[in-house]
Amino acid sequence: MENILILTKRFSIPNANQLEVALKHGAYSSLEKLFSMKPEDVVEEVKKSNLKGRGGAGFPTGLKWSFIPKDTKKPIYLCVNADESEPGTFTDRYIMEYDPHLLIEGIINTSYAIKSHTAYIYIRGEYVKQYQILSRALEEARKAGYVGKNILGSGYDLDIWLHRGAGAYICGEETGLIESLEGKKGQPRIKPPFPAVEGLFRSPTIVNNVKTIASVPWIVLNGGEAYAKIGTKDSTGTNIFGVSGHVNQPGYWELPFGMRFLEFLEKYPKGVKGGKLKALIPGGSSTPVLTAEECEDLYLSYESMLAHKTFLGTGGMIVMNEHTDMVKALKTLTRFYSEESCGQCTPCREGTSWLDRLLDRILNREATTKELDLLIEISDNMEGKTICALAAACAMPVRSFVTKFRSDFEKYVKPISIPVHKVAEKIIQKEPIAS
Amino acid sequence: MTQNIHDIQERKKIKIKINDNEYEVLEGMNIVEACDAYEIPLERFCYHRYLPVDGNCRTCMVEIETPRGRMLTIGCNTKVQDGMVIYTNSENAIRAQKSALEFLLLDHPLDCPICDKAGECSLQDNYMDFGRYDFRRIVPRYFKKGKAINAGDHIVLDQERCILCTRCIRFLDNITQTSELGIIHRGHASKISTYPGKPISNDYSGNITDICPVGALTLKEFRFKQRVWFLKKTKSICVECARGCSITMEQNFNKIWRFMPRENPHLNRVWICDKGRFSFKKYHENRLWNPILNQNEIDLTQATLELENVLKTYHWNEIGWILGPYSSMETLYIAKKYFGENVYALIPPATGKKDELLQLPQEYPNEQGIRFFGMNVHQQELQSKIEKEQIKLLFIVEIDIYRFLANWRELIEKIQALPYKIYFTSFQDETSKHMDLVIPVRSHAEIEGTYINATSLLQKSEASIEPENSFISSSAVLLSQIAYLAGRIPRIFSSNSEIYNEFKNEYEELKQYSFSNIPDFGIKLSLPKIANEPFQGVKVDFNIFMIPETQLTKMR
Repeated sequence: MENILILTKRFSIPNANQLEVALKHGAYSSLEKLFSMKPEDVVEEVKKSNLKGRGGAGFPTGLKWSFIPKDTKKPIYLCVNADESEPGTFTDRYIMEYDPHLLIEGIINTSYAIKSHTAYIYIRGEYVKQYQILSRALEEARKAGYVGKNILGSGYDLDIWLHRGAGAYICGEETGLIESLEGKKGQPRIKPPFPAVEGLFRSPTIVNNVKTIASVPWIVLNGGEAYAKIGTKDSTGTNIFGVSGHVNQPGYWELPFGMRFLEFLEKYPKGVKGGKLKALIPGGSSTPVLTAEECEDLYLSYESMLAHKTFLGTGGMIVMNEHTDMVKALKTLTRFYSEESCGQCTPCREGTSWLDRLLDRILNREATTKELDLLIEISDNMEGKTICALAAACAMPVRSFVTKFRSDFEKYVKPISIPVHKVAEKIIQKEPIAS
Repeated sequence: MTQNIHDIQERKKIKIKINDNEYEVLEGMNIVEACDAYEIPLERFCYHRYLPVDGNCRTCMVEIETPRGRMLTIGCNTKVQDGMVIYTNSENAIRAQKSALEFLLLDHPLDCPICDKAGECSLQDNYMDFGRYDFRRIVPRYFKKGKAINAGDHIVLDQERCILCTRCIRFLDNITQTSELGIIHRGHASKISTYPGKPISNDYSGNITDICPVGALTLKEFRFKQRVWFLKKTKSICVECARGCSITMEQNFNKIWRFMPRENPHLNRVWICDKGRFSFKKYHENRLWNPILNQNEIDLTQATLELENVLKTYHWNEIGWILGPYSSMETLYIAKKYFGENVYALIPPATGKKDELLQLPQEYPNEQGIRFFGMNVHQQELQSKIEKEQIKLLFIVEIDIYRFLANWRELIEKIQALPYKIYFTSFQDETSKHMDLVIPVRSHAEIEGTYINATSLLQKSEASIEPENSFISSSAVLLSQIAYLAGRIPRIFSSNSEIYNEFKNEYEELKQYSFSNIPDFGIKLSLPKIANEPFQGVKVDFNIFMIPETQLTKMR
């Protein structure tokens, strides 16, 4: 099972990002079968495959597609979310770099399934090389007749546009992406209406991650049931797991879901560097952190992560060894989130910067233990009270860092200070001054 | 707007539960509106009844029952559904409301003592009602935004006080559609700003200072002039054009400091134009306090004697009267009813600015009043009567005819040649320079009265200030005195409201409303309209119903 490669199958082939090489190795082979199917059947296959969105939230893809109103008269759009900016996540970029034709094939499959004739790839602004490769690949595909009018004589038209972001993390949120694509300031929209009903240019829109879309051709070719057999019952298929941090060999590996984490850690990234495992951020920086003990019975699947009260997220893991200063690590994250908050909702705009400033205070050794509780309370007040999940993405790591590694934080803080008048009272009463 | 009212009658009523009590609301309302309808307190900043929902302040958090248990949601973007169970005071909801306020105040400069909005600031009011009082903001404040930025002809912007509710942005995007303001930067460095070199310049810019819940946008004309809690407010109407928007006149020390729009869902919603807003200045400029006889100031007793003499010299049939759409209904009524055939009403040309929102080209408040009483508007007839010397003495009441010299040159030349001309006015203007006797009367801000606007809405206006010379009377009362002197009416009316109560009995539509009973929204008359309903070109969906009167005065 371990050697089933769906997303990275052509990564090892030199120059697979060129159309002729890719064609030799099976690119666009799903199209013939695709055009013999009805769009509804494709959606049905994807539903059967139980493919979940790889962008972080893990929402079932087929279900999302079926939310498009059946009798809509407006055009339907597909947006490919290639704005991969979650800290610790670096897997989508390799698909665009090594196998852009897989992504384009996936877009054709998905667009056909949701009856869209226009697709947008929203690529992160910093991905310059990937942008160049992808735009060249798109040009090749257009010339070869895979994109444009009447694809392969099927009568199906599809146009794909490549759009570069301007470097905002929030534009990876689906409605933020849509706003940005419309040319506005990247700020998430208030829901409802959901994008599947009213999204890009007030028309039904599906936003999917690169890895999700790249998985679709295999499902079309081999059937949803075959895909559902890979991985575990609830986490079907494969995912690319990227590992960074204190490991001997950082990198990315495509694996079916369900492998035990510690086994994975030893086998692929070759173990923890410079000491024992202390903590793991399992799926991009916004997922709650796990301690070494919690990693004992952790499996690489959605359900196992949920059982540990964290999320698989994007599959970008950050490993930390025993010498890591968790306060400084958290400060890096809060700094990121306070910079990247769009500033629309009050709890996120003010809360992220408040957390950041409190951590400054803790690092400057000015804080007391009371402030650690305040960190958790601010996180509680932020989470779930905003339009999008950025506030939660900041609150979850803060809460998990402070509760799980409290001893690290306590090294920085003073015990609760006693107000001056209380000290005076104690001196008068000749009591010992204790904290 | 009338269509909207029909909509309301057709809309289904549904039952919801708020805080364990059952209420009946209309389908399609959101939770904030449902709470407003029954005066259940719920804080809000970004939500505004007459603007699209944005949902960014996150203070109107309520808990609703869902199949998956209780869920926190914002009240302004959640429509009520039949059988919905809402909690505005559950533990989670209150915690969310309090924490949102705490976040808003985190970087607020708290310069209330020098802030013009203090006293009518939503942040102050909401903190008193919903705030958490224990202090825990132990991190340094983050100040780096601009203070006292010149943002337009009338607007001063303070970015530090701003809570980024985007009401002003949505107003400029949706109502005036000029979009001068936007948010620049991101995260907690976000701030409201104009485009470089493009200040806010539109005819409705003053409104953004009213809807600003904090002191971020203030008016140059009102900054540092008065504390709002000293201002005495009277319900009045704007007389700058035939729209007659509902306003409040706010005075202290017998001086008007500002006009504020008064909510009237059928007329001006909560907006007024800048021309109307800043017209308060004119009530203290060029005022006439003493009568003028042949360009010499005299006192009121002398003027009364002079007036009596003149009235004795001429026969009543030789006296002509010119009134205009500037006078209140009461003045027009006395003249029309008791003064006989020689009463003419002149309607000046409509040369003002017109737009799709409120402004109308007719720059006078009561043209419809002239139509309502069916007054004689034939200028030619008046002209020929003067020519034939049927009119020898002319009274001109509150209409500055010389201002329209270009249009009425012939008539004015004939008037100029008359042996005696008397002018009733509140202000020194062009006409007062050409008259034999000028008698001061109370201005619009000093009288109570009724006016009919272009859409046939009769509204009342209350007196805001007392004239400096308290012996001068309103034009209506003065006319009734003259009529009494001439023996044409049995008694002198002492006030405008008395005159209104006299004439309302003659009209079926007004019969049931005595002066004190006239609703704040006005009375819709069946008189043909002379202009369209306001906001024809502006599509902002809002609900104008089920708002209790007490709530209406609270709206900012």
